[in-house]
Amino acid sequence: MKSILSLITTIALVSLMGTFAWAETPDVETIVNKANHMALYQGKTCKGKVHLKIADSQGRIRERDLNILRKDVGEGDSRQLYMSYFKSPADVRKMVFLVHKTVEPGKDDSRWLYMPSLDMVKRIAAGDKRTSFAGSDFLYEDISGRSLHEDMHELLDSGNGFYVVENTPKNPGDVEFSHYVAYVDMKTYLPMRMEYFKETGKPYRIMEVLKVENIAADKSGKLYPTVTVSKVRNLETGSETVMTFSEIDYDLPVKESIFGERYLRRPPRELMR
Amino acid sequence: MNQIKQMLISFATRRSRMTIVMLLLLAVLCGSFFPKVVIDTDPEHMLPADEPSRIFHNEAKKKFALSEIVVLGIINEKNPHGVFNPDTLKRIYDLAEFSRTLRWENSDDPTKMDGVIKVDMIAPSMVEHITQEGPGTISFDWLMPHPPATQSQADALRKKIFSNPMLTGQMASEDGKAMCILLPLTDKYQSYRVYAALQEKIKELGGDDEFHITGLPVAQDAIGIEMFTEMSLASPLAMGTIFLLLYFFFRKLSLTFLPMIIATLSVVMTMGTMIGCGFEVHIMSSMIPVFLMSIAVVDSIHILSEFFDLYTPEKGRKDTIVEVLNSLFMPMLYTSLTSAAGFISLALTPIPPVQIFGVFVGVGIMVAWLLTIMFVPAYIMVLPARIFTNFGFAKHSSGKITPLSRILEKTGGISYRYAKPLLGLFLVLLVISAWGISKIQINDNPVKWFAPSHPIRLADTALNKHFAGTYPAYLILESEDLEVHYSNSDKRKLAEKLAVFSKEISSEFPEAERKAMGFMAELMDMTDRREDVPFLELATILAANKAEQAKDDDFYLYEEIGSFFSLEKELQKPFKQPEMLSYLAGLQKEILKAGLVGKSIAPADLVSKIHQELTDGEEASYRVPEKMQTVGECYMQFQQSHRPHDLWHYVTPDYNGACVVFMLSSGDNMVMEAVESYVNDYFQRNPPPSAITHNWAGLTYINVAWQSQMVEGMLRSFIGSFAIVLLMAVFLFRSFKWGVLCMVPLTITIAFIYGFIGLIGKDYDMPVAVLGVLTLGMSVDFAIHFVERSRKIYAKTGSWKETLPLMYGAPARAISRNVLVIAIGFLPMLISALIPYRTTSLLLSSIMLTSGILTLVAMPAIITVASKWFFAGSKLEVPAQPTPETTVPVKVNQ
Repeated sequence: MKSILSLITTIALVSLMGTFAWAETPDVETIVNKANHMALYQGKTCKGKVHLKIADSQGRIRERDLNILRKDVGEGDSRQLYMSYFKSPADVRKMVFLVHKTVEPGKDDSRWLYMPSLDMVKRIAAGDKRTSFAGSDFLYEDISGRSLHEDMHELLDSGNGFYVVENTPKNPGDVEFSHYVAYVDMKTYLPMRMEYFKETGKPYRIMEVLKVENIAADKSGKLYPTVTVSKVRNLETGSETVMTFSEIDYDLPVKESIFGERYLRRPPRELMR
Repeated sequence: MNQIKQMLISFATRRSRMTIVMLLLLAVLCGSFFPKVVIDTDPEHMLPADEPSRIFHNEAKKKFALSEIVVLGIINEKNPHGVFNPDTLKRIYDLAEFSRTLRWENSDDPTKMDGVIKVDMIAPSMVEHITQEGPGTISFDWLMPHPPATQSQADALRKKIFSNPMLTGQMASEDGKAMCILLPLTDKYQSYRVYAALQEKIKELGGDDEFHITGLPVAQDAIGIEMFTEMSLASPLAMGTIFLLLYFFFRKLSLTFLPMIIATLSVVMTMGTMIGCGFEVHIMSSMIPVFLMSIAVVDSIHILSEFFDLYTPEKGRKDTIVEVLNSLFMPMLYTSLTSAAGFISLALTPIPPVQIFGVFVGVGIMVAWLLTIMFVPAYIMVLPARIFTNFGFAKHSSGKITPLSRILEKTGGISYRYAKPLLGLFLVLLVISAWGISKIQINDNPVKWFAPSHPIRLADTALNKHFAGTYPAYLILESEDLEVHYSNSDKRKLAEKLAVFSKEISSEFPEAERKAMGFMAELMDMTDRREDVPFLELATILAANKAEQAKDDDFYLYEEIGSFFSLEKELQKPFKQPEMLSYLAGLQKEILKAGLVGKSIAPADLVSKIHQELTDGEEASYRVPEKMQTVGECYMQFQQSHRPHDLWHYVTPDYNGACVVFMLSSGDNMVMEAVESYVNDYFQRNPPPSAITHNWAGLTYINVAWQSQMVEGMLRSFIGSFAIVLLMAVFLFRSFKWGVLCMVPLTITIAFIYGFIGLIGKDYDMPVAVLGVLTLGMSVDFAIHFVERSRKIYAKTGSWKETLPLMYGAPARAISRNVLVIAIGFLPMLISALIPYRTTSLLLSSIMLTSGILTLVAMPAIITVASKWFFAGSKLEVPAQPTPETTVPVKVNQ
């Protein structure tokens, strides 16, 4: 009798927690791996226009436009190459960032910066990636992704269509947050919301997805659910940035060689248009 | 008036108990508002809320996110490495980590946090270090992510800090012995909590460092605390001293209590009413009790003194007090009215705390007058009879002459005999005073309101020893024309520029020149139809449309053309232009050379620093680059850090406004004024590359703004009250010449006091300015009493020679008792930790002494020299016995 009662309770609880996948909730490793793939590794290449709208606490707005090009070069979800080409504001037009991302533990991404007015390529020192991306509230790490090896992951909850994963850095001294919580969509595995915490119980920084679109790859017609509008709010400074991703092309054939230092001065036309 | 007088006097003497109870009840009622007291120590409130410089200050604060800052200074003079040793740096690190936690929920709005704004904190562990890391590599990192473990790491940190001109002399002192952690607050009212928490933390730290907590918000809190100390310690002490002096004069405890009661009641009623009306207690109004006490005491001493002198057991107390009130009612009413008018005229100054102060002292004076007229007779009437058995001047002085009467007698003789030489002497002194007044320097400094031994002053001295400047003033620059209108000739010029540009790119785009010309023609055609859209906007829209539709190469060509116009837009943002930044750098360099500021930070510094690190890292590269695009890249790189928002303390996001932070070497208003006029002059001599306005923000400047208002306002109010007082004196005596005579002692007193201040080099600051009006009120009081009594006595004697010795009897005794009581009574305020109170105390004493002496010496001397003229046509009463005892008592209805 007692066991039947507890069984009923368990069933009721589980069905409350997850309507879709109550039978087999994947383990946390699977969730974070899938989420990582969906956020960063869809398609072999990806190209698009990024528009950043930064509003400070007083509502004053600044805008930036850049084109972004990505190519995966490693086995599985590993090495990636990123190139961003600035179009506006006009005074920084043609400025280019190049990132060679690695996921090997203990190794750092390589980053370069090209400044057209000085006609100079500068390497950005390895180390802290939690600096602002182009003066916005997005950080470098938000763009190219935070390596899965850097955090310990724990599934806090699953319900309301989300897997709620808490990520705690293995080296707490390296980052400004104590942990962050990701809300991963159960269907698409896209991380829809990230809340960053410092000791206190309230997040100080929130990233949320505002719009997801199914983008068809030009060649294969394969559909990729893609975040097209997202927003980061910095609750400490009161500043927020909305990022819009448009004119997205997946699986364009792009040569690996154009992600070289030489191409910073004369970026490939596929990146500029 | 006579009817009212009789009514008041008879009511007070007949229904004495009721009078006392009523007045006490009134005082209790007013006193019940005391718990509602709100202390306001914000110097910003010295200006009305709608005053332009205050509005501007607040707008600028918002625009550039400038916060009130608590400064935590750490000094180490013992260690050979100064603060750059692992132990001290660990403590600095711990303090910074601790300070970030000083945040708590806003009690009104739980979604907001109050306390330290951690993202704007300046501390070694929390600022960015942008530097060259090996050839061709730039690194963005926290300056001190962890406290260094070894001395060599500490030395490396020192090197890092001093490689950044923006931190040198701001966060760390050039001599390496001091470090400042700057804690911006969400609002200044949080400072006490932060201060207290830091104090606790510092106690735990140990070590051989010196810690100082300062900054304007801390100073303001401290002023508030000292004000309470003042009101609860120094004022009672002054009361006590006055009490002892009174006892010395009157030898009757019960009567000595009287002035104290009058003073206390006046203060309680006035302050209670003020608090009840919802006014906050500012440093100005915290001085109301002191001023009222002196005035109320003076009033009751006049009566008591007279009562003491006239009382004889035969006459009895009732007749004596009625007689005293009869002769004193009018002069007291007039002196009170004139003093009150003098203070109320402070309402003419445009400074709200001074207005409130003036009005309520004025009200308080009238309250004190009413209390004196009503409470004193009532009190005398209810005293048990035995108290008067051994009372009165006649009783005490029978046989022996008190030293005071002897001195007064002699004074009378001297001022009569040597009238002309004395007047000559005063004239000489006046000339010297005039010279002294011409040397007066107007200056104030809220930090110097604290005594040199006060922690705030100590912190100020200690930090100023190491830092070239610790007082921030913000120069706000703004573009004058935000919307540039393109005239036809402007458009032609732009077309020519585009032609040149298209030629430049024609190697890449062979058809560039032709297509650019076509584009321009199309654009000109469009502008005629679309006048609502700004010209450059239209150009970029057209270029974008064309690029959209273009194929292959044309796309890139139209993108180039579009970017040409977009750049043109950027060129209109003054603080992206190298010329403007260099202009600012020039100003900074010159003003530093002139020795007016210790340090300044402008957008030019950010750009120069980034330029240096983006290029070769050499010192020579610390400069504003030549091209606007490079400036733009520098701004962008500055923002690719952990603290992108830092940029907006120096420029507005539209780059139409900029803020230059000047760190002044002193909080003296004089220094701020010198900087202000230097900058004005610089702008005049070197017109900026494009039209920009310049204005100042920051509390250091606000102090200057209200000071200049105050000086002007005080002068206006002084002249105003001088005129009112003169008019009232003329009206009182129905005589112009007597009225003018009444103004003589106070005019000379003010001349002497201000001349002296000018000569010794004491700054003309707020308390000094306000005391001028007190002088007016006090001295005219003595003069009116003197003139009134002189004329009364003359009317009986018919001769000035005979009048004079009588004047040096009771009337002169009353005046000199007053002088002594106030002059000595307020000296205990010298123990105060706030300098304005000390100044008040000293000035009050000297004002009382000077105006007392002048009344008793200069006035009789003047009358002596021109007695015929003064007394010409004065009516004589039926002469005979020339003693004051025979004044006809008024009939009191029994």
